[in-house]
Amino acid sequence: MARLSAEEKIQPHWWTKSLAGAVLGLTFAFAVVGIFAWYGPGGIQSPNKVQFNMWMISPVWLLILSFSFLFRTGMRAVLVLGAANLIAWATFLLLRYSL
Amino acid sequence: MKIRSDILRTYQSIHTWTGITTGLLLFIAFFAGALTMFKSPITQWAVPENHVLPAISVGQYDELVQQATAQYETASNGFTLHFAPHQSPMHHSPMTWYEQGGGRGLSIDSHLRQASFNKEGELVSVANQQNVLGDLIDQLHRTAGIPGKAGHEDIGVLVLGVASALYFIALVSGVIFLLPTLVKSFFSLRQKKGANRFWLDTHNLIGITSLPFHLLIAWTVVVFAFHDMLYGGLSLIYGDEPMFERNGGSKQVYSVAELPPVERYFEAVGDMVEGYDIVSLTFADLATPRARLSIEVAGDGKLQRAAETDIIAMHPFTLDVTYSTLSIPENGAFGPLVKSFFALHFGNFANDTGRWIYFLLGMMGAILFYTGNLLWLEKRRQKQAKQSRSVTIMAKLTIGVCLGSVLGVATSILASKWLYLAGVDINLGYIAIYYGIFVTSVALTFWRGAAKSAVFLQAFIGLACAGIPLTTLISQWIHENIQWQLVSNTLMVDVVALVFAWIFFHAAKKTHRRAYYGERNSIWYIGHSDNTQQPQRTELVKKST
Repeated sequence: MARLSAEEKIQPHWWTKSLAGAVLGLTFAFAVVGIFAWYGPGGIQSPNKVQFNMWMISPVWLLILSFSFLFRTGMRAVLVLGAANLIAWATFLLLRYSL
Repeated sequence: MKIRSDILRTYQSIHTWTGITTGLLLFIAFFAGALTMFKSPITQWAVPENHVLPAISVGQYDELVQQATAQYETASNGFTLHFAPHQSPMHHSPMTWYEQGGGRGLSIDSHLRQASFNKEGELVSVANQQNVLGDLIDQLHRTAGIPGKAGHEDIGVLVLGVASALYFIALVSGVIFLLPTLVKSFFSLRQKKGANRFWLDTHNLIGITSLPFHLLIAWTVVVFAFHDMLYGGLSLIYGDEPMFERNGGSKQVYSVAELPPVERYFEAVGDMVEGYDIVSLTFADLATPRARLSIEVAGDGKLQRAAETDIIAMHPFTLDVTYSTLSIPENGAFGPLVKSFFALHFGNFANDTGRWIYFLLGMMGAILFYTGNLLWLEKRRQKQAKQSRSVTIMAKLTIGVCLGSVLGVATSILASKWLYLAGVDINLGYIAIYYGIFVTSVALTFWRGAAKSAVFLQAFIGLACAGIPLTTLISQWIHENIQWQLVSNTLMVDVVALVFAWIFFHAAKKTHRRAYYGERNSIWYIGHSDNTQQPQRTELVKKST
């Protein structure tokens, strides 16, 4: 493995990464689960699916939070997770109000 | 497996910080959680024999209900009928109802009236304070002993919810930074390379082998703590779509005399599902338009939604089912899936074998957090006799909180039979003893230091545990009217206490040896630092052997 220069290595940036992972990770999880809730198997009215949806939010959220520290910088974490949110929410809203 | 060193270092810090901030809370939650696997036998062990009235046959229940509701005003609105599933002996009277308290949640001053028939077929009834030893251990499990409520939610539950989110991150980070050395060190348990290495290997071995269990527990606890908020968020996504079905049942008012025979409920459950036994029927608000019946059913080797049972809610007079947690077509594909998450937390799907496995997993979890704290301490201590403030405080907290909590529970269980013999408030007694012992242990540890306290607290736990079977033994001769059941379920409690007594005596002995003859710059060393000669000599002797 080639040696990495100081800028190439992961920067700590604990606060920004933790916040990005906690907040943007959660909103992303809601968007993904929202798409699944309406357009996943069984649709929105499948019995007891609401419970399953509620259960699925936290693992998505916690996995994103756990891996947020892999971003090289805090800024990058905010940008990437922010973009992921935009895409996920845009998809959800597009599906929801155009179909 | 090769992983970049900066990633390893990042995740090592994350593991350290998430671990050290949550370890103490999780220790209490896990060891108490292991005990809740045997909540029913523990309560059965605690309740005096004459507080449980004789069992009757299924055919006698209808007559019992009619006679008891006629005689006792308090029973006519609601009561519970208990049935003995064939696999376990009865530890409830056939019919019980609350004269005071009851309702949802844990109540320590509920008075339970119970009814049955004696051998002559006459109605007999007693009223006692309800023993909630098992529920208190469960409460300790769910809140780590943190008192207070925020709204309708326990503060302790919310705190453990946050701790569990951090614990999830600790699990992921722990695996990441263990990956490079995983293959090499997985099954090595190096006992000869010093205590630290042994703790590290134990920590890694437990963490990796029970990883699926731990991930599941972390996830489920986050959901248990924050489901209201998560549903709140989901309601935005659902918009106008209703999240839950509302089942409007019959609004007609009936009288208790119109209740169908108990046999009918057995038939109704039999029609819905196979392989389940009715454990209890709980009737509520019988004389109102909101009359309800909640049926607890238990099945061998079935994934169950509540801690020990599945639930069927039905109208007591019309027998219309409003809700059930059974894996039946009405609940779709998602009902059973969600149920499996609950069942995997509760460990209720493989009978007693499953309970023992969960008991061990829970205890191993407690060891995981305890060794985690010890490793943190070892890593941060200096190679000198005097240690930094953060290390000594954390050492004291680790010993005081972990061992204090275990001692508190052991002493409460030890005191149980004596509280009955002394005729005092049982449940208040448990709580006073637990918190009294816990606070005293933490205070003592701060006063006498971690090393000394580790020895005597472990010895005390051993003594308290040994006292439990001893009490059972001598209670036979103390008071002829206050006796306890001696059946396999209750005797198991005494046997397990004896095993724990042996473990803690042994541990106290080992800790004592390390404190006086171990490494001198350890936080656990308490040999005389001014008398430098003797410890050095023992160290030399140890090295040469």
